[in-house]
Amino acid sequence: MTRMTQRKGGSVVLLQGNEAIARGALEGGAIFCAAYPGNPSSEIIETLAEASKDLPIYVEWSVNEKVALEAATAASFTGCRALVSMKQNGVNVTSDFLTNLTLSGTKGGIILISCDDPSGISSTNEEDSRLFSRLADIPLLEPATPQEALDMTKWALELSEKIKQIVMLRSVSRLSHTRSNVVLGNLPDFKQRPHFDVSSPFHTFPIIEKHIQRHQKLEQAREMFEESPFNPYRGPSKPELLIISSGCAWTYIGEALDLLGLSHRVGLLKLGTTWPLPKRLLKKHLQMCDRILFLEDVDPFLEDNVKSLAADMGKEIGLKEFMGKASGHVPDYGEQSPGVVMGVLGKLFDLDWERKRYRDKVTPWEEGLIPPREFGFCAGCPHRGSYYAIKTALAWDGKEGFVSGDIGCYSMGLFPTGFNQVKSVHAMGSGVGLASGYGKLEQFGFDQPVVTVCGDSTFFHAGIPALINAKFNASDILLLILDNSATAMTGFQPHPGTGNTAMGTPTEPVDVEALCRSLQVHVEVGDPYDMRDTARTLYRLMKMDGPRVLILRRKCALVQKREEGFPYLMEVDQDKCLGESCGCGRYCTRIFRCPGLIWDKEKGKASIDEVICVGCGICAEICPEKAIRMEARI
Amino acid sequence: MPHNLIITGVGGQGNVLASQIVGMAAVDREFRVTIGETFGLSQRGGPVMSHIRLSKEKNYGPLIPPNMAHFIIGLEPLETIRILLEYGNEETIFIVNSRPIYPLNVIAGDVEYPDLEKVRSAISESGGTLYWLDATQRAVEMGDPILLNMIMLGALCGLSPFPLEIQDFKNVLKKVFATTKLEINYRALDMGLKLITEYEN
Amino acid sequence: MKASHGIGQCELVNKVIRQGICVKCGACVNLCPYFDYFDGRIVVTDECHADTWRCLQLCPRADYEDTSLNKEGAAHGDGSEIGPFKEIFIARAKDEEIRGRAQYGGFVSSFLIYTLEERLIGAAILTGKGNEISPSGVIAKDREDILKCAGSRYTGAAGLAAFNRAIKEDGEKLAVVGLPCQMEALARMRRMNPDGEERDRRVSLKIGLFCTWALDYRKLQNYLKTAGIDGSILKYDIPPPPAQIFHVQTEQGWQAFPLDDVRPSIQEGCSLCQDMTAEWADISVGTVEGIEGWNTVVVRSERGSQLLSGFIEAGHLEMRELPEENLAHLKEASRNKRKRGNSAKKERRRKSS
Repeated sequence: MTRMTQRKGGSVVLLQGNEAIARGALEGGAIFCAAYPGNPSSEIIETLAEASKDLPIYVEWSVNEKVALEAATAASFTGCRALVSMKQNGVNVTSDFLTNLTLSGTKGGIILISCDDPSGISSTNEEDSRLFSRLADIPLLEPATPQEALDMTKWALELSEKIKQIVMLRSVSRLSHTRSNVVLGNLPDFKQRPHFDVSSPFHTFPIIEKHIQRHQKLEQAREMFEESPFNPYRGPSKPELLIISSGCAWTYIGEALDLLGLSHRVGLLKLGTTWPLPKRLLKKHLQMCDRILFLEDVDPFLEDNVKSLAADMGKEIGLKEFMGKASGHVPDYGEQSPGVVMGVLGKLFDLDWERKRYRDKVTPWEEGLIPPREFGFCAGCPHRGSYYAIKTALAWDGKEGFVSGDIGCYSMGLFPTGFNQVKSVHAMGSGVGLASGYGKLEQFGFDQPVVTVCGDSTFFHAGIPALINAKFNASDILLLILDNSATAMTGFQPHPGTGNTAMGTPTEPVDVEALCRSLQVHVEVGDPYDMRDTARTLYRLMKMDGPRVLILRRKCALVQKREEGFPYLMEVDQDKCLGESCGCGRYCTRIFRCPGLIWDKEKGKASIDEVICVGCGICAEICPEKAIRMEARI
Repeated sequence: MPHNLIITGVGGQGNVLASQIVGMAAVDREFRVTIGETFGLSQRGGPVMSHIRLSKEKNYGPLIPPNMAHFIIGLEPLETIRILLEYGNEETIFIVNSRPIYPLNVIAGDVEYPDLEKVRSAISESGGTLYWLDATQRAVEMGDPILLNMIMLGALCGLSPFPLEIQDFKNVLKKVFATTKLEINYRALDMGLKLITEYEN
Repeated sequence: MKASHGIGQCELVNKVIRQGICVKCGACVNLCPYFDYFDGRIVVTDECHADTWRCLQLCPRADYEDTSLNKEGAAHGDGSEIGPFKEIFIARAKDEEIRGRAQYGGFVSSFLIYTLEERLIGAAILTGKGNEISPSGVIAKDREDILKCAGSRYTGAAGLAAFNRAIKEDGEKLAVVGLPCQMEALARMRRMNPDGEERDRRVSLKIGLFCTWALDYRKLQNYLKTAGIDGSILKYDIPPPPAQIFHVQTEQGWQAFPLDDVRPSIQEGCSLCQDMTAEWADISVGTVEGIEGWNTVVVRSERGSQLLSGFIEAGHLEMRELPEENLAHLKEASRNKRKRGNSAKKERRRKSS
């Protein structure tokens, strides 16, 4: 990783989009970098944390994105350069501070990197964070390649410092996780001494005046965007069709035009500076032709803004035919792809480009042949034990109880791997907030027990205020904190409970149990591996009133495997195993569903997959015939 | 026209590392490289797919256009036919590892894994060239199932249309593996190459 | 439940559990992991997909018009009154400790202790008092185990769940003590497919207890809580009519509650029952009206008779004749229950058609 901290530029390296952003931040002189983990953004801080071993910079995993932005802004207020990164949902979390910050303005260059996840491949939603740039009145940059990601990040820090305003850079997973050749620039000397100028405070009053100033800053940026090298055009001077695109989606279009033989007929304008729109540049291109197609990832952000601009310029540029998401030419959901692009262009130009013969030949083979891959908890995962205990306790109680879910690996409680116990998942900490509400419905006759699950990292991020709300408003919530000592889903980044920081410094872990007890709520601690006992505890807790917290504590299986390992060797006694017959019905493989247990269709028996089974031993108790045996490893 | 290579498999097979090695080797040979990764919940059982594009002229986009893969390395059979319709064509060269990794819903007994012979026929009869290798077997014999990805990369070098050579990969391994691990990985590459040069249908 | 499940579980859930007529005999519990008994309820924990099902075949409420089951024993008098029997008498255990811990005469405890100590059986399936949760089935292996279970429960307690557990252990012979519904479930078990006959061979002795109705444990707990009793209960008792009282013994002593206040806690499924004297048992046991501290004993089957003679010869029992009056009352009570059950059944069928 030393290439990341290489002082002298010039070399060409293979960099991931996120790594390029990190490098761009370093080349731009950012000394304070903060974030909360979230796919597809996590590698940015991971890369910077690694770089901090060699460079005098500060990198932290903050407890949530709002605090991350606030902490980084402190650096900016003292004249130093800073970076914050997050996934699309993180921008939502920062929004109150962000929309006030843009009124007060900033000092040292500061950049907000938002990595969206079109198609929601690893998210709970699909969202276009670019709209925040309009909401907050801030400049927005959209890189299309890792090289641009580096260059734009670096330039954004300069831009931000110049106009004294935070700048947003928006990436998508397809860019963040793409690797390509990147030329490195030089690193600066990082000599920045923080100083807060007390004669120049940062606040939003008077609001109207500050609002006007905010608009002026935007106009400053717009002027710089007019000549920006990030907005290239390729194609004829009078194209039959003009395509306007931004971000990673742009990279598919050039190739599509070449493949379809349309390069001499279609013009392609890329906007890298997507907000505010460079008016003169756009006017010039809008005048080139009357048919305009927009291609971008997720919302018709560029599309709507350009159309609005075109309406303003209507008298000068004339009537246009706009095609895009509003017209239905391009899907208004999901990620763009070369297939989508070629489909749209093929239709518009009536070109037969598809490999029909091949596809017709292959399609019959595909039908029915390809099962999807179901997601599941890893072998040994304590969440499997937790959900099994919850399922049992709710069945015993028999009043149609359910689980209010939250964000993390345990969100998979929605699926068979978690016995379909979870009935809602939305945002960080929202499961606890919902539970605080359910806990007040008894007065209206609500009698269904609600169990809430929240991970340790999620608890620190957003669960605490909701728990305090439940205490304050005497809500009957039953909160299970699934403490596996990890931020597992996103890649094991440190959090307040793990005892170390992003830069590897050991810290005193924040004690979740002590924190809950200090609220004077009922707190107990349990072991999710002991499923029967946990179920009984839950059953008992369900009968109580008021806020109750049960901390289920067991290390994440992946961490445990790496560290001490597990104590058992497992085996299924083939003589005792009943298999499909009444009395079992493939209970361990079909219901319990640990990947360490395999169903052998020919033998009609279950067995252990020695490669995948970690040896936690909790499956032994669920077999009705006690056919699953455990032996202590030597 | 760039060289379009797809490496597809399941999380944990070393797909991402393999694609990085191809990329780094190509950069050293002055190629413009773009590698597009698709991984969602790959750790929790999901598929991983890398699109690798090599060109002397320019950097292409991170996704290969429909039906334009020249080479497809399938680390797992089911994941290979999953992408057959979308990315294959009649000239594609396939190198496929024959050992399945059963999805959770298959090992739970809910759905069936397709008949391996049918999978093999589907790929070979789609028109391209198929090398059906027992690469996991070889990796296990060499001492570690994770050597699968190096064996498959070695095999890739055995294809004449592929623009890189085995030495290009070996040069890169020094940057990726600890010295103690180099020898075994070199041998894995060699094994893969041998499997192709000695391949009988 | 959707039709995609095993039909057996589906039927059982829809026709019995969801209809509220489950009597918690426990025959379906511990056959498989899909049913469980906890805190007074039979619950479904997961969906079963099996094609053959035993739970439905066993359930005494699943098919309550099955008259093809053959009651054992010779007909003695009018079979529709208290079922077929060979002998009837009253008895009490000679052992004072046993009598002290029992509900009435201690016949059942004494008989079981004898068969256990003589190794005629390996274990007895009884209903225990339970701890902080509901009473449940117990596998009793010695004198103390048996005495711990002495005393009437008055609530459904899924005792057969313990039977199903015991069957999985090594192949010793078992005695089972239960209510008429539990005796019926065991009788159905003989024809159960698969492994019904195998299970039946394990049962050496079925002792059935007279029963008019049983209470729902949870409903009873709720009632007692509102009536001011929260702690653990040592014994229940319902003295014979005309007293309409429900007695509860806690650590603080005995308390009486109006029986009418307790009646709403009667299990709904009991209203369909037509069997007061456990006609499917080998030996049926109950109280003796007007004679405190004694049991009425009805000997029905050959094997029950054989085991009993050994017990009597060993001299553990005091026996007397059952007064004519008592027999007449017993028959009348039994007839009335059968009538009630019959009309309730007809009413239900009428409603559902």
